[in-house]
Amino acid sequence: MRRHNSQPSLPASVTLGLAFLLSAANAGATQAPIPHGTIEIVAQNESIEPGRDFNLALHFQLEKGWHIYWANPGDSGEPPRVEWKMPEGITAEEIEWPTPHRLGSSTIVDYGYEDAVTLIVPMRTETNLAAQQSAQIGAQVKVLVCREMCVPGKAQISLTLPIKAQTAAPDNKTAGLFAAARKSLPQHAPRDWKFNVDATKGSFVFTGNLGHQTTSAIFFPLNESQIDNAAPQDVTPTAAGFRLTLRKSQQLLKPIARLKGVLVLSDDRAYWIDVPVSKPGLPQNNSGMNLQPQHFVEEEKAT
Amino acid sequence: MKRSIVFSMMIALILCVVPLLIAAAKIGEPAPDFTATASNGKTVKLSANLGKYVVLEWHNNGCPYVGKQYNSGNMQRLQKQWTARGVVWFTILSSAPGKQGYVTASEENDYIAKMHATPTAALLDPTGEIGHLYDAKTSPQMVVINPQGIVIYDGAIDDKPTTDLNDIPGATNYVSLALEQAMAGKKVETPATRPYGCSVKYAN
Repeated sequence: MRRHNSQPSLPASVTLGLAFLLSAANAGATQAPIPHGTIEIVAQNESIEPGRDFNLALHFQLEKGWHIYWANPGDSGEPPRVEWKMPEGITAEEIEWPTPHRLGSSTIVDYGYEDAVTLIVPMRTETNLAAQQSAQIGAQVKVLVCREMCVPGKAQISLTLPIKAQTAAPDNKTAGLFAAARKSLPQHAPRDWKFNVDATKGSFVFTGNLGHQTTSAIFFPLNESQIDNAAPQDVTPTAAGFRLTLRKSQQLLKPIARLKGVLVLSDDRAYWIDVPVSKPGLPQNNSGMNLQPQHFVEEEKAT
Repeated sequence: MKRSIVFSMMIALILCVVPLLIAAAKIGEPAPDFTATASNGKTVKLSANLGKYVVLEWHNNGCPYVGKQYNSGNMQRLQKQWTARGVVWFTILSSAPGKQGYVTASEENDYIAKMHATPTAALLDPTGEIGHLYDAKTSPQMVVINPQGIVIYDGAIDDKPTTDLNDIPGATNYVSLALEQAMAGKKVETPATRPYGCSVKYAN
C-alpha cells in the first residue's frame, strides 16, 4: 500500500489510455451476444483514410419475434444507446434510423424493428489520424430486447481498421448489408410535395399534397408524447394526396410548433417530414420542410 | 309519438356514449372511480379516499424497469416517505393471467413482504379494467390524484427512462415533485410525461 502511494502517479491521459487498452483487450470481438440475439459491428470500407468520413454499422440479429426500438420507442421500451470508445481524431455521428414498424396491440403501440436491423453510424475523421497505423473502435451498447416481455442487455464490441493514406476500398463482405440498410432509411420528401398540419382539440389533421391520390399513409412521430401511438390513424384519400387524422397524446398538454417524423406510404416508400403545426383559424401559409434526416435526431437529442 | 321515441333513443345513446368519453384519466380532470379487490382481501373504492392524495403505481414484478425501482429500494422509500405524510398508495397489478407480472393475492403478499414494500394496498386487476380506465401503458406508470379527486400527474416515475439502477440517484422523481408542489399549494410543473417502462401485459 505504502509502496503504491510512493510511486509517481501516472498522467491521467496515460491511465486512460491503459484503461482503454485493457477494456479493448476484453472487448476485441466484433460480435457479441445480447438477450435473444447477437450484435455485430461492421465497417463499410476496408480501411480509414484520414480526413475522410466513413460508415460503421451495428447489426442486430434477433430470435424470431423479438424486437428492439426506434429513436422514439412509442408507448413502452427504449432505443439502443451506444457509448463509443475511439482514438482521438474519430467522432461518431448520430445513428441513421431505418424506417420503423408499428409493434404491439390495440391499446399499446411501440415503434421498432423485429428479427433483424442494421443501424448505420457515420463517423468523422481528422487528418491528424495519419500518425497512427490502425484504429480500434469500441462500442458499449445498452439495448432492450422485447417480445412479450423485455430483457435489458449490454454488449461490448470493437473493430480494428487500418489507417491508410489512400482512398479506402469498400469491403465486399459488408457491401450487401450496407446496401440493404441504406434502402431501409427514410428518404427526403420530394420538394414539390406540400404538407399541412392543423391542430384541433383532440387531433392533428395531417394533409399531404403529393400530386396524386394516396390511399395508404402511416405516420411515425419522432418526438414522444405528441400523438396517441395506439390510436388508429384514419387515412382519407384526396384528389391530390391524403388526409391523416392523428389523435393527440394524453400526455400532450401544450401546443407543439412542429410535427416531425417519418411518413410511410408503402413498404419501400418512407420519408422524413417536418411540418409546422397551424392552429385552427390561422392562415395556412406553411408547406412542409424537407431537412436532412440527421437534423431530426440531433434536435431530438438536444431537447 | 314517433318523434319522442327517436328523442329518447338519442338520449339513451348520449347517456351510453358520454361516460365512455370521459372515462380515461386526463390531467386536470376528475380521476375515474373504480372498485377493486386488494391482495389483503379488502375491497377498495378510489372515491372513498377523497380528501387525501392518492398515488397509483402500475406494477409487474418481472419488468426490468420495475426491478430497477424495487431492487434499488427506491419504490419502497417513496411508499414509506409519502404514506407517512398521509398519502394513499395503491400498487395496481394489471397483468392478465398467464402473462408476465400476473400474481395471485398470496403471491403478491409474499412479494410485498419480501421487498419490504409498504403500499396502502396492492389492487388485483387481472381483467385490466382499471388499467384501461386510466389508459395505463407501462409499468411503472404513475398517477397522482389530489384530495379533490383531480388527476394532477400522469406519466413516468422519473426522468431517466432506463433499467439501470445507477440512474436513480441523479434522477428527478416526478411523483415526489408533483406531491411536493401540490402540497405546497403550487402548480405542478410537470403534470405529464411519457410513462416509460414495459408495456402493461393486458389480455389483448
